[in-house]
Amino acid sequence: MFVSRSMTEKVITVRKETSLLEAQDLMNKHQIRHLPVVDDDNILVGIITDRDIRGALPYRLVKEQPESEERAKYAHLKVETYMTDKPATISPEHTLQDALLLIQEKRMGAFPVVDRDGRLKGIISVRDLLRAFINVLGIGEPGTLLCILAEEKVGQLKRIVDVITEEKISCGSVLVARYFEKDKRAVFPYLLTNNVMRVKQRLRDLGFEILDPMQWYLDQLPKPAPPEA
Amino acid sequence: MKRTGFLYDQRYLLHDTGPYHPERSERLQAIYQGIESAGLLPHLTRITARPADMQWVETIHTEKYIRRFEEVCLSGHRTLDCEDNQMCRETYETALLAVGGTLEAARMIMAGELDNAFCAIRPPGHHAEREEAMGFCYFNNVAIAARYLQMQWNIQRVGIVDFDVHHGNGTQHIFEKDPTVFYYSIHEHPSFAYPGTGREFEMGSGEGYGFTKNSPVLPGQSDEDYRRLFEQDLLPAFEKFVPEVIIVSTGFDAHKEDDMADMRVTTEGFAWIMRSIMKLADTYAQGRLLSVLEGGYALDRLPELAADHVRIMLDA
Repeated sequence: MFVSRSMTEKVITVRKETSLLEAQDLMNKHQIRHLPVVDDDNILVGIITDRDIRGALPYRLVKEQPESEERAKYAHLKVETYMTDKPATISPEHTLQDALLLIQEKRMGAFPVVDRDGRLKGIISVRDLLRAFINVLGIGEPGTLLCILAEEKVGQLKRIVDVITEEKISCGSVLVARYFEKDKRAVFPYLLTNNVMRVKQRLRDLGFEILDPMQWYLDQLPKPAPPEA
Repeated sequence: MKRTGFLYDQRYLLHDTGPYHPERSERLQAIYQGIESAGLLPHLTRITARPADMQWVETIHTEKYIRRFEEVCLSGHRTLDCEDNQMCRETYETALLAVGGTLEAARMIMAGELDNAFCAIRPPGHHAEREEAMGFCYFNNVAIAARYLQMQWNIQRVGIVDFDVHHGNGTQHIFEKDPTVFYYSIHEHPSFAYPGTGREFEMGSGEGYGFTKNSPVLPGQSDEDYRRLFEQDLLPAFEKFVPEVIIVSTGFDAHKEDDMADMRVTTEGFAWIMRSIMKLADTYAQGRLLSVLEGGYALDRLPELAADHVRIMLDA
């Protein structure tokens, strides 16, 4: 669950002196939106994004295949002028949860990953995080999602997991979510099996309610206001 | 009335998955009993099961996998590749018999001895990948039948309709690059149901792009949703593809009383589904239709579902 395990290590970088057009070509070629800017010692000095470049160039040069003469007029523009200095960074020892919260808070699509000396070690993007969480949820493997309604008291999850274990079923992930009824929790184990009939029956026998997952979802939606009397 | 074949063999009961497993021999007995007590047997042509010729199995599965399956089974191991796939010593032979019976049904249709056929077989097949057993499936019966039709009978375009509540990952993957086999599946949405594939954006790849179509259905949905998706997704696709033969992966587990999944299709809903597939077969494929059993675990409902299925195939 650490950034170092999920980041992209082979980072495409540019220098302050790199021309803006070259940076744009690099982004197009590698289909990326963020280029960390580093110095000779691989110390991070900034980041330039496709949005920075779109802001600097006329629309024709961004969207259309430009004439080379037209492009030449902008060849003197340097990354340095348009990059973000001292961008927000994250360290390889941070967790994926840190990265998620940071991306939400800073409204950024990617973070350069730097060590304590400020050296660039990688980059972690929304795309990397998606991959990591697909892995965490276990949904890359075949399985079935159950939705179990449990009372909010100590030991409920253990009872559920015990049944799953006794049935020799592997668990891809377990999510626990709020339910609209107070003192209830919806538990979603993702079971790596097709064989769910017996485990469902045993959970019912223990007094758990097996919900249609859509029912849980619909109950989360705001209820329409009652009609005026 | 159509000439409808019926494949059922006592030996399909020998595949023993142990206690508590939903894919059990009682399923087939319920299906047979339903067809028998509806008085349909005299109208059906019985098909004899025999072990499949290895040359056909090898069109889909690698020799390595076939050998492995045989060895693991005969050595007395109870599972293959995953806990889901419970076996006994007879499982390998039974699986070969399931493929062989399905191919015999296909042969009789192509030879003009039958219009269509229902193969009540075990073990099922649509989750089986080229080299991996999955979700109670070992050999992909339907995929092997599709290749057999192409290679032995020179059929150019095979259309597969899979209405089992689970996505047929094996069948999709085997044909995803192949524009000569159209795979259509309607199933419970993969975020909720096994095996977690069959999303709308899975449409095949390379030359086969556009020859795979998936209609995932959210939990709790019913007949109207199936009807809407069939009309919106399957009918136009087959109108364009024009299949010469239709193979159906028949699963009854979307039934509202089936606890394996969360759909609420009624017995009447299943009848509508089968009638509309029959119409497709009559329109494009000279009525040639091969229905092959996949899932369906509500033992109390299987008799009526199977009887309706066969009655519709008989067009009676």
